[in-house]
Amino acid sequence: MVYVILIGGLLAGVPIAIAIVAALLYFMATGEAPYTLRIVPTEIFKGLNSFPLLAIPLFVLAGELMNESGITGRIIAFANVLVGRMRAGLALVNIWASVIFAGLSGSAVADTSAIGRVFIPEMEKHGYDRSFAAALTAASSVIGPIIPPSIPVIIYALIVSGVSVPALFLAGVVPGILLAVFLSAYVMLTVKVDHGDQSADLDGPSSTEALLQGILPLLMPVLVVGSILLGIVTPTEAASFAVAYALILGLFVYRKIRLTALPGLFASAMRDSAVILIIIAAVAAANWLLTYNRIPNMLTDWVLANVDSKTAFLLATILLFLFVGLFLEGIAAMLVLVPILHPIAVSMGVDPTHFGILVIFNLMIGLITPPLGLCLFVAEGVAQVGMARLIRSIMPFFLVEVLVLIILTFVPQTVIWLPRVLGY
Amino acid sequence: MDRINRAAKWVFGFGAGLSMALVFLIIFVNSLRRYTVGRSVAWGEELPIYLTIYGVMFGLALAYLNDQHIRFTVITDMLPERVRNALFGLADVVTIAAGAALAYAGHVFATRRGNVDSSGLKATADGLAASTGLDWLVWLGKVGPWQYAVAFGGAILAVAAALRLVQRLSSRQEI
Amino acid sequence: AQTIRVAHVDPDDWTGSKKGAAAQIFKNIVEGESDMTVEIFPAGALGNEDELVAQAQDNLTQVVLVSGAMSKICPAASVLDIPYTFSSATVAWDVLDGEFGDALSEHCREQTGLRTLAYGETGFRNFTNNTRPITKPEDMAGLKFRVQPIPLYVEMVKGLGGEPTPIAWTELPNALSTGVVDGQENPVGVIYNNGLHKLQKYMTLDGHVYAADFILISDEFYDMLEPAQQEVVAKAARVAGTMGRAIQQWNTAEGVGKVQAEGMEVFSPTSEEIAAFAEKAQPAVVEYLRGELGDDAEWIDRLQAAVTDATQ
Ligand code: NA
Ligand code: NA
Repeated sequence: MVYVILIGGLLAGVPIAIAIVAALLYFMATGEAPYTLRIVPTEIFKGLNSFPLLAIPLFVLAGELMNESGITGRIIAFANVLVGRMRAGLALVNIWASVIFAGLSGSAVADTSAIGRVFIPEMEKHGYDRSFAAALTAASSVIGPIIPPSIPVIIYALIVSGVSVPALFLAGVVPGILLAVFLSAYVMLTVKVDHGDQSADLDGPSSTEALLQGILPLLMPVLVVGSILLGIVTPTEAASFAVAYALILGLFVYRKIRLTALPGLFASAMRDSAVILIIIAAVAAANWLLTYNRIPNMLTDWVLANVDSKTAFLLATILLFLFVGLFLEGIAAMLVLVPILHPIAVSMGVDPTHFGILVIFNLMIGLITPPLGLCLFVAEGVAQVGMARLIRSIMPFFLVEVLVLIILTFVPQTVIWLPRVLGY
Repeated sequence: MDRINRAAKWVFGFGAGLSMALVFLIIFVNSLRRYTVGRSVAWGEELPIYLTIYGVMFGLALAYLNDQHIRFTVITDMLPERVRNALFGLADVVTIAAGAALAYAGHVFATRRGNVDSSGLKATADGLAASTGLDWLVWLGKVGPWQYAVAFGGAILAVAAALRLVQRLSSRQEI
Repeated sequence: AQTIRVAHVDPDDWTGSKKGAAAQIFKNIVEGESDMTVEIFPAGALGNEDELVAQAQDNLTQVVLVSGAMSKICPAASVLDIPYTFSSATVAWDVLDGEFGDALSEHCREQTGLRTLAYGETGFRNFTNNTRPITKPEDMAGLKFRVQPIPLYVEMVKGLGGEPTPIAWTELPNALSTGVVDGQENPVGVIYNNGLHKLQKYMTLDGHVYAADFILISDEFYDMLEPAQQEVVAKAARVAGTMGRAIQQWNTAEGVGKVQAEGMEVFSPTSEEIAAFAEKAQPAVVEYLRGELGDDAEWIDRLQAAVTDATQ
């Protein structure tokens, strides 16, 4: 019956967090002592009772403020100056705008919707297939949580003790750029129509002006991530500085945000965070029950007895995460699987930072895979081309991302070189 | 009906927004103070956590009303309109039941051991109670009122789901 | 046969972790001498100390090893935190293993439904700082010390003339390296294991607070056991407490040597020098506790009497 509620509920469209909580409540209500109903609220409260977790609503708020202050346009103009005149320029601008956006936001979904709203119509106007444009937007937006700051990294560091946020932040930089380079190469090789000078059509300021205007927003990730890396502030404090910076830009520098709009922005930031945080809390409650029954220990013993090489383990991990990424929301998957897999990885001699980035990269790919891919949903919402068509368009991008993942897996230096050089 | 919906969204949005604003202000001002004058307040950590938990509960209900929760839609998207609406109505019913059960369980949780002191808030709450003469303020230094967030969240989630269900049923009659 | 779930927040490793060692020997003895099974949940797998205590009160988890969480549910236990009460660990052991410890255990059992099977130890806490060697309370004047956000510690540092700054544990390394605070206080093992000695120049082994570990069992569960099983569990807990103390002592002794080897200047005050600290800190804390404890304030006097007995 518990599984009926959980799986039936999920399929019937009950929100994931609520389906988990409902199944747990039913289990506790019908279970024998010591199980009792109040364990569920106890564990939900416990799952949310954490200071580092507060970095999530704050980064979400900073992202929304940045968006409202008209910075998406500035980022696009900035990227346009850099790569807009190359072959398939507009597609490249889409990719590299995501790289820059990545430094401002920890969320791929925010990137898909912000950049998609501008680019999907614009690319179509210049002869790109609308569905290709939507697929590219979704595929490149997953760079967001790989390049710091990153909400999945903060959550990963919360789950695994002994892996630091700064180390993971640094470790994500090269993989994020690598992904952008591979996507760019793919786009330049395959786009047949010569879209030539189309970039000039993007309404906007002149090159120098665009570069100058891009600097203020770009300073934010430098300051925020820099201060975390230098060990001056914790991620939560840094997130509050990011909010303050975005507020100053929006209210006084660009003057795009009116004071009266602030309450609405605060409310929607908390609402968007609540959707993530409640999944974290629900899975934390489910995890408590699993731990209490030693399920993770049993799985660990089983894996250690049956998987004997590091390579086999890493490949199995990739396949497992790609598979669960089809169905599970990324953060939920991480919360369930990482506590089990991380100790095994460590005992097999995998670098913890390397493993962390592999897991996060893997789950970010899950954002663009059907049936449950959040970025796919959002891109479809913007493009309105029909899910089936969008899924066909996303396939090549999916393969490119898996290729990058395989490179990251077997060339660990791509991940751990930067944090090592900087002393982490 | 529309007015009730709008009012509910306003209330949930107000709670979520207020908590977000307070959390930002407390963390920002507290860390500024720490790095400038080298002082910070004892409740600078626990209070924002507790406010966020309340904020999450408001946000949860608001997201439900706005249909913004993360859920599977692939199966439901493939179904005919009528079946799909029936399933969504069922999802509302499951949510109402889960919300109500959570409200009850959360009440038991918070009242059972809510008397425990919250170490970061205790001194400030006791001080507030002493200086204002309002004895009940010492409760802000206990964990109970903050733990009550889960019960509260369950209750407003049930309300949000009930509003959605009524909306679904009434809009079907109009067709 | 019964399964006993044992939980604590320290690492599992028995050579470096007092609670880890205590839990493992408890398991070995109970499983060896009875048909019960023991499952250990180390490193906070089931929750933090407050949550573990609550689980034990519900008999969800049967045995928990905690330190700071105890005085939150049994306020009388906070008298153990009165600074400079125990002149050495052996005095603390005598007091806790004797009549006083038994009486406190019984009192807390009635209040919480948790039976203290035995006392282990987290160790004496000491001050470190970056500004100057502290040999007398006057040296603390004007220095900012990070304390846990617990009123008793705030009162203690105030009494000594320092400036208490409550900062969460996770923020401590940042606060020390950026000079937000000048010093902190912790047991030697904690200081060494977390690398705080690299951020601090001076340590004073003043041992201001002796932190005990409480090995607690759900009384509901204990009552359900056969007398023979109760005997095994009680014995195993006593050995576990002793084991925890021994590992803790080992780590402290080794830690003091290691921090010195890595450049920290360590000052060991004499008992006269400690008395000067006690004179400043004790009255402030005792006054605060009398106000807080109400009827339980008698435990302050009982403890002082027990300590006097043990030192004579
Ligand atoms: Na990012
Ligand atoms: Na993009």
